[in-house]
Amino acid sequence: MNRIMTVAVAGAALAMGVATEAVAQAKPDVLVKQRQAAMTLIGKYWGPIAGMASGKVPYNAEAVSRNATYLENLSQMPWDGFHESTRGEKSRALPEAYSQKAKFDEIADRMQAEIAKLGAAARAKSEAGVKAQFGAVGKTCGGCHDSFRAK
Amino acid sequence: MAPVAPAAPAPVGKPAPAAQAVGAPLTDPAARRGEYIASAAGCLGCHTEAKDKAVAYAGGRALKTPFGTFYGPNITPHPAAGIGKWSEVDFARALREGLRPDGAHYFPAFPYPSFARISEADLRDLWAYLRALPPSARQNQAHDLGFAFNLRFLVRFWKWLYFTPGRFTPDPKRNATVNRGDYLVNVLGHCGECHTPRNFLGGPKRARHLAGTPKGKSDGGVSNLTPTNLKKWDDAELTGFLQSGMTADGDVTGERMGEVVSNTTSRLSAQDLASMIAYLRALPPIADAP
Repeated sequence: MNRIMTVAVAGAALAMGVATEAVAQAKPDVLVKQRQAAMTLIGKYWGPIAGMASGKVPYNAEAVSRNATYLENLSQMPWDGFHESTRGEKSRALPEAYSQKAKFDEIADRMQAEIAKLGAAARAKSEAGVKAQFGAVGKTCGGCHDSFRAK
Repeated sequence: MAPVAPAAPAPVGKPAPAAQAVGAPLTDPAARRGEYIASAAGCLGCHTEAKDKAVAYAGGRALKTPFGTFYGPNITPHPAAGIGKWSEVDFARALREGLRPDGAHYFPAFPYPSFARISEADLRDLWAYLRALPPSARQNQAHDLGFAFNLRFLVRFWKWLYFTPGRFTPDPKRNATVNRGDYLVNVLGHCGECHTPRNFLGGPKRARHLAGTPKGKSDGGVSNLTPTNLKKWDDAELTGFLQSGMTADGDVTGERMGEVVSNTTSRLSAQDLASMIAYLRALPPIADAP
């Protein structure tokens, strides 16, 4: 029985290994498209939150909660798209996004952490919490765009 | 000279940053008008530390430039740490001539080449507003500049090359809206301080007025504000961007412009934003820098 389990686990591990490693890395141009797609969707779900948090649109706690949760997932997606292989691809990413990897990663981590706080406040239906956190998220977006994206 | 009529400040939906929540509401109408002028001129950005709960206008903001780092001074009416001992004449001289009360030259990191042309009425109102601020004892910090650029007396030479005092004069060939926009963009807004490229001495390249800077070695460049680039945006998109710092797609602008949006453009009346846009659209188109 134990042996069967061992074989089964090893087989499953092997299968997973195949799933993640044996498949070739996506092509650089596709990686760029994918990270841009994640960014585009971040914009899509961020826009309404920004409108509501700044009082331009009536506040809708349900919509904010849904969007912030989407953002929490989306905020994790762009980063592996900045793979070394994409360095020469045409995009607005500045060379520093690759040459200052530590700083880049630090901002990306901070952005995810700030969005996670936004998500928590949004799901707790705390309008004040969302409004307080909204600026911190915007700052991490803007800070990164200043340092790592061409105009 | 007849001042360009200041438009009535319109409340914008954006909540004021923590730094702005100071003192009692302004009762003096001149100070209230001055508050709007201070927003239009973006004084807060350089004269307030970049941290949570910083005291508004108490100075400390680092402005990094190729010549070194400048620190915005305290402009609250504190007698020792701020400008409490100044007279209105001192204030006018600072803005109009780029001179300290003791006669020394200000480095042009303080955008007096733009502010010099402010209208009399706006200058008086701005002074009234600064006088009404709660005094802060926050001490100023010395600038940290590279050699030669730290020699204040050399600024005299720079001014001889690049600084022309004088008042803003509306161009009679243009309508009042475009003239108002010119005043907001070039005098109060000092947009060209970043959106006009500079030469190696830090002087503006006037032939490329507001044409932006190319992607640099360590930054992403600055947008071209002439119709070459702006024609890609309609008025509603531009207005929305200036009010929110974001495109309709939810794309967030960089932090530097984001700050300008929150301190300045989001606080301007719809009419003033429309004037700025009308002025920019009337500029001669200049091709993007290569």
